[in-house]
Amino acid sequence: MPEPVLEIESLSKSFGALKATDDVSLTLRGGEIHALIGPNGAGKSTLIKQITGELRPDSGSIRFQGRAIDILDAAGRARLGLARSFQVSSVIPDFTVRQNVMLAVAGASGHVFRVLRPAQSDAKLTAPADHHIAKAGLHERAQARAAELSHGERRKLEIAMALALKPRAFLLDEPMAGMGAEGGGQVTAMLSALKAEAPILLVEHDMDAVFALADRISVLVYGRIIASGSVDEIRRDPEVRRSYLGDDA
Amino acid sequence: MRQVFDREALINLAIFAALVVTAVVAHVAGQGFTVTLATKAAIFALAGVGLNLALGYGGMISFGHAAFFGIGGYVAGILASHAASGAPLVASFAGTTSMLAIWPVAMIASGIAALLIGALSLRTSGVYFIMVTLAFAQMIFYFAISWPRYGGEDGLSFYVRNTFPGLNTFAPIQYFAICATLLALALILTAIITQSRYGLALQAVRQNSQRSTAAGIRPYAIRLTAFVLSGMITGLAGALYADLNRFVSPSMLSWHMSGEIMVFVILGGVGRLCGPVAGAAIFILLEHLLGGVSEHWQALLGLMLLVIVLFAPGGLIGMLSGRKRHA
Amino acid sequence: MLLVAEQALNGLQYGMMLFLMAAGLTLVFGVMGLINLAHGSLYMVGAFACAWIAAATGWFWLGLLASLIAAAAAGALIEILVIRRLYSRDHLDQVLATFALILVFSEGTRWLFGSFPLYLSLPPALTGAVTLPGGLQYPLFRLVIILVGGAVAVGLWLMITRTRLGIRIRAGEADREMIAALGVDISRLYTIVFALGAALAGLAGALVGSIQSVQVGMGEPVLILAFVTVVIGGIGSIKGALIGALLVGMTDTLGKALLPGVLARFMDASSANTIGASLASMLIYILMAVVLILRPQGLFGARA
Repeated sequence: MPEPVLEIESLSKSFGALKATDDVSLTLRGGEIHALIGPNGAGKSTLIKQITGELRPDSGSIRFQGRAIDILDAAGRARLGLARSFQVSSVIPDFTVRQNVMLAVAGASGHVFRVLRPAQSDAKLTAPADHHIAKAGLHERAQARAAELSHGERRKLEIAMALALKPRAFLLDEPMAGMGAEGGGQVTAMLSALKAEAPILLVEHDMDAVFALADRISVLVYGRIIASGSVDEIRRDPEVRRSYLGDDA
Repeated sequence: MRQVFDREALINLAIFAALVVTAVVAHVAGQGFTVTLATKAAIFALAGVGLNLALGYGGMISFGHAAFFGIGGYVAGILASHAASGAPLVASFAGTTSMLAIWPVAMIASGIAALLIGALSLRTSGVYFIMVTLAFAQMIFYFAISWPRYGGEDGLSFYVRNTFPGLNTFAPIQYFAICATLLALALILTAIITQSRYGLALQAVRQNSQRSTAAGIRPYAIRLTAFVLSGMITGLAGALYADLNRFVSPSMLSWHMSGEIMVFVILGGVGRLCGPVAGAAIFILLEHLLGGVSEHWQALLGLMLLVIVLFAPGGLIGMLSGRKRHA
Repeated sequence: MLLVAEQALNGLQYGMMLFLMAAGLTLVFGVMGLINLAHGSLYMVGAFACAWIAAATGWFWLGLLASLIAAAAAGALIEILVIRRLYSRDHLDQVLATFALILVFSEGTRWLFGSFPLYLSLPPALTGAVTLPGGLQYPLFRLVIILVGGAVAVGLWLMITRTRLGIRIRAGEADREMIAALGVDISRLYTIVFALGAALAGLAGALVGSIQSVQVGMGEPVLILAFVTVVIGGIGSIKGALIGALLVGMTDTLGKALLPGVLARFMDASSANTIGASLASMLIYILMAVVLILRPQGLFGARA
């Protein structure tokens, strides 16, 4: 079994009386897609935010590539290669596709405070950016403003930005959301491509996609992981059927 | 990032050239007063260029830039008045009348103030940020009023304009040349910064701070750096303004001054390189023209500003270049 | 000891006046998401209306009523003509447009009334001093201001928690589309809220104008203090506005009264006076800085 890339150990987070994350432990191993599913309000976003560093957990710890990252802020974790995409498609709207990806290249490098050279002619930014744009299949739209992209193109841009971070793990928050049937197929293909780069922790509502793509699934209900295992194990798990999938599943 | 020679760049060049031509023609025609007006416009433009870096490119709506403008002015005034009286300022150092020494001190002092104010204010965002920057500027304003050593409410006069090697700073056109050169340098610096890797990050943080963080960028550090640079440029403008009038007073620190610096930026076009130049020039022109029509010209100015905000949100350069900047 | 008690009452009175200003600001921000720099102009409008009507009719009470009506009317007018076009704009446009309104109001008032300050004379029933328990002689009118502030605080609290308007205001803070969907006439609600805030500012202007003077530009220093109050209390919170206003009022008044005396124990009298006065003028901003460090969203603000 491959080494775990991301290890989450007994993470807890409360908002007042509400336990949004209740003693959650989870691992992401090299080469896998680990899907995190659960009903609305189960605490998926809260959990993801603690992994990215946007929220501080009350207790528990997170290790990434064998190193404790609890003290790092979100930008620091991103620089280590923990790449995320957002639930609501999120890019820099007034930038071109190329500038968006250049930004991610600059951020990953950690050298943001350079002022002497125009970014546009800095080959250390443009060459990797063009490479990732081509890889995401967006090279024809490199000079388009991000705000003018179609939904599917914007997803591809996010993926190109994630690739630019030299990812060691992906956190993908509902990449299928808002995609039509055809776009969904594109993203499915994309996920297989990303999986070759680094393992993926996938938060997704689309059950068909989850069961088709995931290697392992964890089910989050009321902040607790009630089941974790292979696709078949989750399908058979009685507690999951009762509390989440319902009788018709 | 835009190409170097697009329509907007031509407009930028034309605006700066218009300012210089105005001053030169007025000088040749013997209109010293007009040269001084152009100098005032160049200095206000420089203050606006400073604010534009924070406000236009960084999205930080500072309503407290008068603090930096005034601190720059007071540095010039205090150094000059000590040099005149011979009273020691620190240890045996008794001030200076050399602009080359005054400018760096003014920029450092306003930079330190910007660092402190920015570090606190940037813990907030949105409407809090506006109110907090306004409040801190007001704190410095009240401090200047209640501190009698340098004139308190009455301000501080110094009778001789400070010196610059090889130039007669009293000749209006020569002082204009100094101010216009510094303005040009600040514009070039702004262009370099905004085109750079750092500029990319600054503009990204303005548009989508969460996304920038996920790309490995720390918005707070990026913003604070821009805020400090912005304060330093506006502080330099303050030192020049003090020298223009040979007088500093708390009015340079007042909220009204902050509002005016903001008006220069918005009138010309937020986040446009030469927006503040156009804005300051129009402001001086309006002040001069409307002031001739009615002593209540500020009411007319207010009405014009209202019309501009409600019906031409891109500012002057936005209208001319036909391109909206904010999506 | 009597001095401290008197200054504490002064601080309370100052705080109550700030509360009248800050309540309107924080309501308008909470419900409409608008930053209104021209709030100080409405304060000035109230003061001038009171001074003018009171001088013309000889009735102070009529002047006070006029201050409420004039400020509310001015508020409703600018809301309908200008402000409502700004709700969907960013804060920058709001700042510039309301800054422009200040210029218009200030110069317009100067044009109408001139640059010289006006003075209000109080009716005999409100002048003089009362003897408080402990033997302190305190001006009656300042006590009235404290009581008016307290009454407004209670009234606002009742209005927000108990009335239909209050329910709509709270709903509007939570979710604009929601209450529009419920069939509430949202633009009328906004006009009412804005006029209400304006009326409170006008009342504050009239009351303060009665103990100080009425002049152009009187609103802006108060506006900035009201901003400090709102930042300390937390945007959108009436309770925060009250607590913030009392903190600011007390800190400023007691600081200015006591700091030079305290410093005089460590240094000679003249430098204690100078340093004390300078430091006291900065105290409330230092208070604000401390709150920003500990709780950037203000004491009672929801996290942004």
